[in-house]
Amino acid sequence: MSILLRNIIRFVLLLLLQVFVLNRILLHQSISFNLYLLFVLLLPFNLPRPALMLLALLMGLSLDMFMNTMGMHAAACVFIAYLRPFIINVLSPQGGFETTQRTPSMTSMGVSQFLIYAAILVFLHNLVFFSLEVFNVGSFLYLLLKIVFSTAASIFLIVLYELLFFSRK
Amino acid sequence: MRNLIIFLRRYFNFFLFLLLEVICLVLVFQNNDFQKTAYLNSANNISARLYERYNNVEYYFHLKATNDSLVKENARLHNMLRTSFDTVILDNIVKNDTLRQYGTDTTRRVISTSVRRYLYKAAKVVNNSVTNPINYITIHRGSADGIRRNMGVVGPSGVVGIVRSVNEHYAVVLSLLSKGRNFGTSARLSRGKEMGMVRWHGGEAGYATMEDVPKSVHLVKGDTVVTSGYSAFFPENIPIGYVESTEEVDKASTSFNIRIRLATNFYNLQYVYVIDNLLQDEQKSLEDSTYKMIKQ
Repeated sequence: MSILLRNIIRFVLLLLLQVFVLNRILLHQSISFNLYLLFVLLLPFNLPRPALMLLALLMGLSLDMFMNTMGMHAAACVFIAYLRPFIINVLSPQGGFETTQRTPSMTSMGVSQFLIYAAILVFLHNLVFFSLEVFNVGSFLYLLLKIVFSTAASIFLIVLYELLFFSRK
Repeated sequence: MRNLIIFLRRYFNFFLFLLLEVICLVLVFQNNDFQKTAYLNSANNISARLYERYNNVEYYFHLKATNDSLVKENARLHNMLRTSFDTVILDNIVKNDTLRQYGTDTTRRVISTSVRRYLYKAAKVVNNSVTNPINYITIHRGSADGIRRNMGVVGPSGVVGIVRSVNEHYAVVLSLLSKGRNFGTSARLSRGKEMGMVRWHGGEAGYATMEDVPKSVHLVKGDTVVTSGYSAFFPENIPIGYVESTEEVDKASTSFNIRIRLATNFYNLQYVYVIDNLLQDEQKSLEDSTYKMIKQ
């Protein structure tokens, strides 16, 4: 399957999963499951930065449309799309990652590297998103708890997704 | 000039990032002006249709609960019929005429010309959330059915919310489950007649708080909290919830905060009624003109 097709399918799949399954799970008010940002995490390494940000904006706005949260998801998505190349640069070994596989994953980056990469970006995303959300209502402690718990929940889901869809070679 | 262009090209990524973020933030903070962005919320055609299709499936799994609540409501309405009482004079029903009540016998005489104040319109819920700090409900009724902004919305068992934005066939309702100052409704205890404000402070979707209740109140657990009829959105005596317990915030304060169990079950909301207050404009213009007179 070509990389383009694979990403389009992933976009639709993650959007539907987020809107119709994950947003309806009610565990506790400070835990929300955000998996859709995996789309931004798994875009190819060699994609130029402007394209990265515009795709993130598209994903964010599509989700905002369903959730009645105009611009909040979009702002958080664009933020992590901008910071993604920096994080990859810091984490990559000398000479960059192997060019045989063009998308970030556990096999192309190594398990621990990928987990650090995902954890940093998920945390930043949740930081921006929940700050914007709680900006209207609520308190600081609530914000902090929400960011920590939701980040943990999202990373758990991302690991699950990776284990399901990427066979180890 | 050349240097400027070089500078811009060098930091192109950063400027694009700033531009996109500013666009997003403008969208976030313009959100209060709901009408402007109405085409990009869940009442627009793509997402509303998808939600509706999804709801068709989900609806099937909730049939039992929906049935139960409809039967309960039927029972309640039957109890309110004149025929349920001994002192029946005329068995009458209300026709879809806003001004007159007709008798049901063959002559269809006009039995009353009292002005109708509230008109209920049934609507199907196509999307609903309970997990966010501010929750919205999308209903399949719009301006084509006479729904306007700021109409009250009630469910089979109690208050649900207020219409915030309207499209031709859909409307978005601000749910009672909206944190803090976003939604508050004037309420009254049905036993003691004490007034207060009902607000939701996050947390479980089944509970809310009734604030500013005078301490002289004689509280009974399970007492019904109903709408006061002072706001133009809801008629009098529509249930909001039931008294659960009191929380004393501050010993020195003169008012109670009462924890109430909400009458509406927001988890399986399927049908709601939008209330059209036919005398709203009349009441509002009178109040406004009086207010102006005093201000001068």
